[in-house]
Amino acid sequence: MVVLAGVSVIVFALVHLVPGDPIRLALGTRFDQATYDALRARSGLDQPLVEQFFGWFGRALGGDLGVSFRSGETVTSLIAERLPATLTLAFASILVALLIAVPLGTISALRPRSFVDRVATVLSQIGISVPEFWMAIVLILVFAGTLGWLPSGGYVPLTEDPGAWAQRLLLPAVVTGVVSGSVITRFVRSSVLEALGADHVRTAQAKGLPQRQVFTWHVLRNALLPLVTVTGVQLAYLLSGVVVVEIVFSWPGLGQLALQAVQARDYPVLQGAILLFAVVFLLINLVVDLLYTAIDPRIRR
Amino acid sequence: MTGQPVPQTAPSPDATEAGVRSTQRPPRPRWRETLGLLARNPTAAVAATVLLLIVLMAVFDETLAPAGPNEISVEDRLQAPSWEHPFGTDDLGRDILSRVILGAGVSLRVGFLAVAFALVVGALIGLLAGFYGRWVDDVLMRFMDILFAFPAVLLAIAVLAVRGPGAGNTALAIGIVYIPVFARVTRASVLGVREEVYVRASRSVGASDLRLLTRHVLPNAAPPIIVQTSISLAFAVLAEAALSFLGLGTQPPNPSWGLMLAEGRGFIDIAWWLAFFPGMAIFLTVLCFNLLGDGLRDVLDPRQRTLMAGGGR
Amino acid sequence: MTATAAGEPLLEVEDLRVRLRTPRGPASVVNGLSYSVRRGETVAVVGESGSGKSVSVLALLGLLPARVATVTGAARLDGEDLLGMSPERLRQVRGPGVGMVFQDPMTSLNPVLTIGRQLVEGIRAHGEVSKAEARERAAGLLTEVGLPDPERALDRYPHELSGGMRQRVVIAIALSNSPSLLIADEATTALDVTVQAQILDLVEKLRTDHGTGVIWITHDLGVVAGIADRVLVMYGGRCVEDGTVDDVLERPAHPYTRGLLGALPDLATADEGELATIPGTPPAPTDLPTGCVFWPRCPVRGDARCETEQPPLQVVGAGVTKGLPHRAATWCGEGGAR
Repeated sequence: MVVLAGVSVIVFALVHLVPGDPIRLALGTRFDQATYDALRARSGLDQPLVEQFFGWFGRALGGDLGVSFRSGETVTSLIAERLPATLTLAFASILVALLIAVPLGTISALRPRSFVDRVATVLSQIGISVPEFWMAIVLILVFAGTLGWLPSGGYVPLTEDPGAWAQRLLLPAVVTGVVSGSVITRFVRSSVLEALGADHVRTAQAKGLPQRQVFTWHVLRNALLPLVTVTGVQLAYLLSGVVVVEIVFSWPGLGQLALQAVQARDYPVLQGAILLFAVVFLLINLVVDLLYTAIDPRIRR
Repeated sequence: MTGQPVPQTAPSPDATEAGVRSTQRPPRPRWRETLGLLARNPTAAVAATVLLLIVLMAVFDETLAPAGPNEISVEDRLQAPSWEHPFGTDDLGRDILSRVILGAGVSLRVGFLAVAFALVVGALIGLLAGFYGRWVDDVLMRFMDILFAFPAVLLAIAVLAVRGPGAGNTALAIGIVYIPVFARVTRASVLGVREEVYVRASRSVGASDLRLLTRHVLPNAAPPIIVQTSISLAFAVLAEAALSFLGLGTQPPNPSWGLMLAEGRGFIDIAWWLAFFPGMAIFLTVLCFNLLGDGLRDVLDPRQRTLMAGGGR
Repeated sequence: MTATAAGEPLLEVEDLRVRLRTPRGPASVVNGLSYSVRRGETVAVVGESGSGKSVSVLALLGLLPARVATVTGAARLDGEDLLGMSPERLRQVRGPGVGMVFQDPMTSLNPVLTIGRQLVEGIRAHGEVSKAEARERAAGLLTEVGLPDPERALDRYPHELSGGMRQRVVIAIALSNSPSLLIADEATTALDVTVQAQILDLVEKLRTDHGTGVIWITHDLGVVAGIADRVLVMYGGRCVEDGTVDDVLERPAHPYTRGLLGALPDLATADEGELATIPGTPPAPTDLPTGCVFWPRCPVRGDARCETEQPPLQVVGAGVTKGLPHRAATWCGEGGAR
């Protein structure tokens, strides 16, 4: 809660530190005094700063994040419009990441220094280092351009056309999924390696459990517990980190909204978007904590 | 075009002094030893060599580049790679190889500046928080939590939105994002050494806090910070490219790798080399910083106190 | 101490050798170890850490990682070769054939599974037993090892129990399939003295009630005197002396054993029941000395062959007590303890 309040103060301060008059800047050439005054009054910019903050903060708590300078729509509705796309992409990416990381990391750990392990290590190192927007461009070139199998971008809601939805989701999800997956692969590998060396694994073997049972219940289960935390952290990063990928794939998510807000100097929208991301970040952390408490008996009360 | 890149400075233990100063101090990795161990790790050694070449390339860019960054030649536009233009030319007929070489300076300078800023501020905060504990720790680390709760890319974007685009502001924006990472690593590391015998011994003979911090705590807490520095450099270069790609970082006509990628994106169907080579350059640099970081971690920080990679992604 | 040593051999180990691949080169951890354990007999294996005690028993059950360990020699349990066994047969032997208790009760149980589950899965791995039945047996085992309120303990996690209680659980797991041989590797080292005494009593009871053979690995000579029929002293991956408890503890023949017992005047004297410290360090298994493994630390070194030739294990002293030979591998004091 303290963190959330702090975040709000910084978000607010950031925007109000902008030199010049944001509304004048936002209106640009469309400037006319009547609109200017109306917007100014509506944004509360004519009031003292502290009052502005508390007003904004109070309304934000109630879900009112103000009005876009540019379109006149409420920030809340703009965000609500974009949120599903970003959530879809983030969750799809995490799914791709886990589908890559868990098998690859586990196999690497089971055969350390083997050919498979070395290949996996190299691949994950590449995945961590590759600029995602570059990978996105290359994938678009290959799959949308040369092969023509997939559309190069855009978004169709699942409810409208599941096929088109999946087609458009695939490439961006793979791009961000590969990057996150690379990070998680390394984590899974070291985690499984550590679990393999644990004393209780020897106990399990010594009591004559079948190898598969030893592996599933005494190695994998223990190794994957901390994966919850890492996945949560990655998901939090993904939610905000997909900005660049959203741009390349014309994915109408929050990242794109935020960038457009920056370009148009639409500060209420930027403010709202950042605040929302921070809230989501904290929320994910909270969920991870709760989940971890639920699945790890050592922390359970 | 480019300045001298800031060398990666780390508090290197002074060998002669350490011997005289105190026998209570534990042996800590000597620079030369570290380099020796690193040299025996082939991957890290290759990565370090490639990085050195990239840095040299950035320093001597104007001599190395076959053409100026903005030499426009309309009849040569969109040439595929050839002997004359090994990486081809762009839509304005500019030599891509030259722009990639000249772009190294921009990317590295922003990366180094950003990490240096984050390192100095973050390490200072972490040092104070870890060393003094209690309310200092609470206040500082809570503030770091707040900063950490900001989505990295958006925080950088917001900083740039406020301060306007450009190389310096890009470095500042990336630096701010990384402050909490360094603060956390430093704090954890300082907590580890704070209660060590030699620190308590020095404290008991009345050494001042400043002396304790600079002479004892910092040098011994350094290894994880050094590792984090290398890894952060990787992500800083990546972040600079991303921000420039979005049009918020380096501004045209300066040759930044991210910017070149953005410019080349429109021609991806007809001239793949526009986007390919700057992308390769980013990838290679980032990869080398990561590999070097891994190598350093193996040598300096076997207990893996460093935050896992992915701090900024 | 009760000499039920008349039973037929349960475990026979012949010329067991274990080599491990380590970052510092190949290590000869066990170098030609031969011994046998009879039904109802307790054999104590003593020696410093690094003498190959643990590795030698882990090797018997194939519990060393195959990637790094090479095991040769022969080991027969009830006449059946353990080392050449198929993985599936070996799995069947682990549990009903040999039960094993490990050193550290804090880490040898899986922290995220309940005690009950860890017992039940062991029981159900060897025969068709319903869950309810296995659970009932598990509760019975916990009662047997003296765990208060066994029904409730079944639903607890390891971290909710004290070290002593956890070790009882580990022992219960080892006993859950009524093994004919129980191997305890420093099973009581981490426990306090009263708990240790209770556990020793328990093992003693098992041995007399079920005729279980026991291999008890320990540092603690007090424990050895208390429970063992025979003692095997290990050094540098070899057996340097073996014999009945009385022979070895009262009339040690090998300078190393005497050192352990604090019997030699020029070595630090031991507190009662504790191993004395011997100057120097045990040999690194990557770099064993030629000749007698002990000579670099040996305070006697009376023979020319010490530094060149490994002495064989020979009958010493009074020779054979109750059909059990007292043997030592040393050049000094040949033909009788000094």
